Amino acid sequence: MATQEEVYSKIKSVLMDEFEVEEDDISMEVNLFTDLELDSLDAIDLMVTLDKELGIEIKTEEMQDMRTIQDVCDFVLASVSVDE
Amino acid sequence: MRRVVITGVGLNSPLGNSYDKLYESLRDSKCGISYVKEWDEIANLNTKVAGVVKDLDFKAIPRKFRRSMGRVAQLSAISTSQAIADAGLTQEQLSSKRCGLAFGSTMGGNETMFEYVPEVKQNMSFRGQNSMAFLKMMSHTVAANLAQMFEIKGRNIPTCSACTSSSQAIGAGYESVKYGMSDIMICGGSEEHHYLSAGVFDVMGAATSKYNDTPEQSSRPFDKSRDGLVVSEGSGALVLEELEHALARGAKIYGEIIGYATSCDGSHITTPSKEGMEHVMRSSLEDANIEPDAIEYINAHATATARGDIAESHATHTVFGSQTPVSSTKGHMGHLLGGCGAVESIICLITLNKSFLPRTLNFKNLDEECAPINILGKNVQRESEVVMSNNFAFGGINTSLIFKKFKA
Repeated sequence: MATQEEVYSKIKSVLMDEFEVEEDDISMEVNLFTDLELDSLDAIDLMVTLDKELGIEIKTEEMQDMRTIQDVCDFVLASVSVDE
Repeated sequence: MRRVVITGVGLNSPLGNSYDKLYESLRDSKCGISYVKEWDEIANLNTKVAGVVKDLDFKAIPRKFRRSMGRVAQLSAISTSQAIADAGLTQEQLSSKRCGLAFGSTMGGNETMFEYVPEVKQNMSFRGQNSMAFLKMMSHTVAANLAQMFEIKGRNIPTCSACTSSSQAIGAGYESVKYGMSDIMICGGSEEHHYLSAGVFDVMGAATSKYNDTPEQSSRPFDKSRDGLVVSEGSGALVLEELEHALARGAKIYGEIIGYATSCDGSHITTPSKEGMEHVMRSSLEDANIEPDAIEYINAHATATARGDIAESHATHTVFGSQTPVSSTKGHMGHLLGGCGAVESIICLITLNKSFLPRTLNFKNLDEECAPINILGKNVQRESEVVMSNNFAFGGINTSLIFKKFKA
């Protein structure tokens, strides 16, 4: 079972590698849209990349409430747990 | 009548990535064509040479714009950024409803298409596909991406007509300014280097293969030993502006566009038509209201295919006779496809401003089947006032542009 730390680390590396976000700008509390200036298309692509890396499938409507990296972490952990 | 001048240029090409570098490379008879080692792995691809753009920093394009751009759009973003900076346009001018865009390419992002389509087909699923692939592949990817990056609010005319993509863009821009729809038009085109483009011509027997071991000799327009074109990449961008608008802001002026025509053969899908080519050149002269003897240099399309060069030489000879200097700069850099019309238009501006007529690299002996036109085998230092650039594309699409040295 993945830990929150492992999932956070994966999200962080995806944000840095794929979205060119600076490491210092990333923390659990940051808002993907207002702090990191991502948009809805970036959010879709973030989840597509996490799906490839972690095997979690997500529907667009399930993403509507996600704002912070904590939200993404929680969703991924819940998905992994359901799959298991 | 409103006059149309060019106030900014930008480019990337196998011969260099600026107006000055392009001039130096032509002056020094440099060749931008090289052997493509990766193509060794592709079966039944006979051509192995290409002109590739080097030394560009794609990361200079902010990620929020770059994310939806394939290489073809990124090349365009860099050439356009250079042209806008060269013209000294402010964001307010760029975002005025009187400023538009006309830009094209043969294909969208080939590399993206090659990743996307097989994966979807193999899995019969869209799971794992990101949201950007289509935006990189779509036919008007270049025009759409440039418009958002530079916040263009006026007309946006994607001109995706293969080898006339960028000459039609310049023509559309010229007509937009001349007839009062816009004061500024940013025009050009682009192509990205990919074995798909090379393979398409290879299958038709239109790409070179005899000179793979001597790439710098592979593109030989009009020469009797030519054996086809070299598929290359690059992008050119020109800022077209209404004369009074340009003068009012004290803009630097590279030259004036005084004539343009586009026409269609309406016959064979690939076979070039001498009559169609002749018709478009005469129509352009008519638009400029000048006689053929006013043209002092012609930048020919001449891609070094057998039929194309023959047809073009006869069309050119019928209109201009044997005296007017003609060259094809595809000997230096190959065929930029969607980018060729813009880069060759910039070469025409170089001829006007540097009093320099470039040779046709690798041209030694005229094919006996070509008409006896005056093909430059050597560079010539000569002042010119009025020059022409011609381009022709699959589908029988023809364009002819006429540039004039600027005089107030």
